Amino acid sequence: MNEQSVICTRGLTRYFGNKPAVYDLNLEVPRGCVFGFVGRNGSGKTTTIRMLLGLLQPTRGTGSVLGYDIRDLPPEARARIGYLTEEHLLYGWMSVGECGEFQSRFYPRWNEKIFRGVIGHFNLKPAARVKDLSRGERAGLCLGLTLAPEPELLVLDDPALGLDPVAHRSLIESMIYLTRRSDRTIFFSSHQLADVERVADYIAILDRSVLRACCSLETFRNSVQQVRLRFPGAPPPVSNIPGLLQAFRAKGELRLTCVHYGAATEQALRALSPAQMEMVPISLEDAFISYLGERGEKSFILSETEAQP
Amino acid sequence: MKTLILKELRENVKLAVLGLGILALILALNAQKYSTILKNLGGISESQQMYLPWQPLVSSDILIGLFCAIFGAVLGWFQIHNESHRDLWAFLIHRPITRTGIFFGKVIAGLMLYVLATGLPLIGFIAWTLVPGHVAAPFQWAMLRPTAIIVLSGTLYYFAGMLTGLRQARWYASRALGVGVALFVSLMFQSEWHLWQALFFILIGGIILATAVWGGFHSHGYYRGQPAPGRLALTGALMPGWGFVLALTAILLVELLLRSPYSQTQYQMTKDGAIYKVTQGDGDQSNIVDLQGKPLVDSKTGRRIGTADFNRRVCTLGKIKPDFSGRAHRGRWFERDCNRFTFWRATPDTLWYYWGQYGRLVGYDIATRRFIGSLGPDGFAQTMSGDGSRFRFGDDRNGFAPASRRIINTADMVYALDLERRATKAIYSITNDSEAATPSAITNMPNETIGGIGEVSLNGNDWDYTIVVTRGYIRLLTPDGKVLWRAAYKPGYPDYNWIQVAFLNSSNQFALWLSPSWYAQGKAGGKLPTQVVWLDREQGVLKSIDLPELFHNGREFAREQKLISLSISPALMMMIPLINEQPQLEDIPWVLVRNSLAAALVCLPIGWWLGLRYSLSLPAQLGWAAFYLVFGIPGLLTFLSVQEWPARESCPNCRKLRVVDRDQCEHCGADFAPPEKNGTEIFELLVAVK
Repeated sequence: MNEQSVICTRGLTRYFGNKPAVYDLNLEVPRGCVFGFVGRNGSGKTTTIRMLLGLLQPTRGTGSVLGYDIRDLPPEARARIGYLTEEHLLYGWMSVGECGEFQSRFYPRWNEKIFRGVIGHFNLKPAARVKDLSRGERAGLCLGLTLAPEPELLVLDDPALGLDPVAHRSLIESMIYLTRRSDRTIFFSSHQLADVERVADYIAILDRSVLRACCSLETFRNSVQQVRLRFPGAPPPVSNIPGLLQAFRAKGELRLTCVHYGAATEQALRALSPAQMEMVPISLEDAFISYLGERGEKSFILSETEAQP
Repeated sequence: MKTLILKELRENVKLAVLGLGILALILALNAQKYSTILKNLGGISESQQMYLPWQPLVSSDILIGLFCAIFGAVLGWFQIHNESHRDLWAFLIHRPITRTGIFFGKVIAGLMLYVLATGLPLIGFIAWTLVPGHVAAPFQWAMLRPTAIIVLSGTLYYFAGMLTGLRQARWYASRALGVGVALFVSLMFQSEWHLWQALFFILIGGIILATAVWGGFHSHGYYRGQPAPGRLALTGALMPGWGFVLALTAILLVELLLRSPYSQTQYQMTKDGAIYKVTQGDGDQSNIVDLQGKPLVDSKTGRRIGTADFNRRVCTLGKIKPDFSGRAHRGRWFERDCNRFTFWRATPDTLWYYWGQYGRLVGYDIATRRFIGSLGPDGFAQTMSGDGSRFRFGDDRNGFAPASRRIINTADMVYALDLERRATKAIYSITNDSEAATPSAITNMPNETIGGIGEVSLNGNDWDYTIVVTRGYIRLLTPDGKVLWRAAYKPGYPDYNWIQVAFLNSSNQFALWLSPSWYAQGKAGGKLPTQVVWLDREQGVLKSIDLPELFHNGREFAREQKLISLSISPALMMMIPLINEQPQLEDIPWVLVRNSLAAALVCLPIGWWLGLRYSLSLPAQLGWAAFYLVFGIPGLLTFLSVQEWPARESCPNCRKLRVVDRDQCEHCGADFAPPEKNGTEIFELLVAVK
């Protein structure tokens, strides 16, 4: 394991019944980065996080977090890891203040200022009952409880899931301004690609239980490109294009999103004899969606209808 | 941990208060019922009075037991259920404290709440009982031992409830199987003879369940990933549950499908001294034949005698079950403690109990519910112990009411009781048995003591005769103590401990029935006969006959029992003698053990095959094989319910199916293939961000 890695897994696999939820995951998360963990629903993000924190036994494979075996994380390791769950559940009968007091008793490095700061940011009153809080407020409280122990590693499982835009923005701001520190690693999973784009240094993409990408955001952005091919008539069928992620067919036009665009891809595209071929700028979100979406050719129904004689 | 304990206390205190309220209500209703009984005593027949809850403290045991079991299980289950959502569970578990710390935090708080909910109402109830004027019955602290044990056993249900909430299992209902351990221990109370046995079973059950729960905290309720003691305990915790499920299923199936028609034959004697075999089946009419098998017919009509007609011809019987053991109390400690006093009789204004601690009848005033005094051989005294003289009322109840209410005895004297006048009168002494015995016969028997007495009423009300049994003789007395006849008690005690005197048409003629004890009959394989002797007061013994046993078949087991034994673990079968006061190896029902073992042997190859499917190591296979042998079918089902069904997939190297939880194929040693690449992978070496 690289000493700079905060999280490291080797062949980490988890089955539920006969179905693999995470398959042969090899991952290294460098220290001090913000690491986005991206994937569609059911791709295995939460399962991975739960395995990393020793909340779920891996079926096979190994892993370590902060140098500790994930199968047996000792209390001192847990004290250094902050974990924010996706549903932000807490004890409903406690008040906000009681939650802080309860949590503070377990953490020697508890920073009351941070806790007060975060709940203040979310306008939470210490006397308010947890059961009366909105989902966004609960998320803020959970974030405060997670940050106040000043964890070295922050694991956030889809922290913005189910939040309204205001709460979402508030949480992301907190993540950016309150959590980011040079000695802290943030590992977060998300559906919100814009969030990933805003805060992540590195990303890992899980696709149907398998890790398909693990790189910097820049590398990912550079690796996924879109090319537009124009044809005088109906575009020919697309097949055997190296690195093809998705192809959209429109009238006299093919728009192809490819990964690792290079000479081989270009040669295959030229073989289609387009009248014109040009690179099209692609947003990171589109790149993500193409990367995570169904592979192969897609057609606009209208274009297909128009193509009918 | 203190923080966790406080959190648990606060989270579950409402449930504890609810439990406390329910138990307080149960006990208050019991107290109310007791008061109602005292008010309406005049309207309750003497035979029903025997079974009234005279001491509400001990008569509440069943309700308290039920409450403790249900409340304990619900409390334990709730403590886990409150945090059963995976995110809340993660919030609890992911904190800098060991799983053991979390386990203890929960358990300490849970047990504190359990003690609060059960202890406070009970202490209040005990205090109420102790205040004079509330309960007109004897009290001693030892009476509380069964209640204490019952409350203590509720902790087993508490752990079982926790285990149910915690356990993750693919057979959903199998989560609750841990309750089997608690049930097993509760059932053992019914047959335990000593206090230490009850405490021992609670301790063992508690250790098994608590360790299983502790293991569950380490693996979030899964078997896999638990420390070895946790896995062992979980296996042990589920096995009795399966035993119960299987036994109940087997009993149900046998009852529904295989049950033989009910039929029981017994000997009965008519007033003319003739013996008949009466077979009672499922119908109303009995089959009545004489000892030669000839049906009993009416001499006038020539038709078979019906049951009702026959019952009118049956003679009156005086029954005695003597006890020469010399023990003040007999029976299970559980029962013994409840029966430290025995209700004797009520007069219009007083209640009388025989209290073994003092060997005297103690009286209470119904109106004031206060102690009024005691009756002993010396007469009435205003203290419990009087002058220290004691009656010898061996606990001849054995589940029955005392055979006599008008008379009582010491070792050598029989006394008539006059409870209305609070007086006793000696009516017979075996040392002055001049009427029918030679003094030398008595002196030759140094151990001659009275082992049982009984009063006989021919019309159901009057006191016509008294039966007195000593080791050597059975005597029939008039109510004023005159000996009518004396017969040798042979075959004697303890093998023959069931004595019946039949009163025939002629006032001078009687028949004496001596029947073997159930235990002796069992040891003899059902071969001990019942001896019947016809006696004439003037002429002595007229004749005698040995009747073969009809009911007890010794070591023979019914087909149903044999079938049910297939579903029970061989180890449990071997434990059957433990329900006896003095367990003996010969009490083991080897026929049933053999059946059970045969079922276990069938489980062995099935279990071995399953082990191969799970790709267990050889030591694990051998360990489980031993488990199947000891615990039979319940053992096999336990294996299936603790282990997750293993996912398997085809090995790309050898093409055989291999389990997925190994890094290498168990057949060819090949690694798992990495995920197939599709050409879209983007990987780069990541470096730490400065």
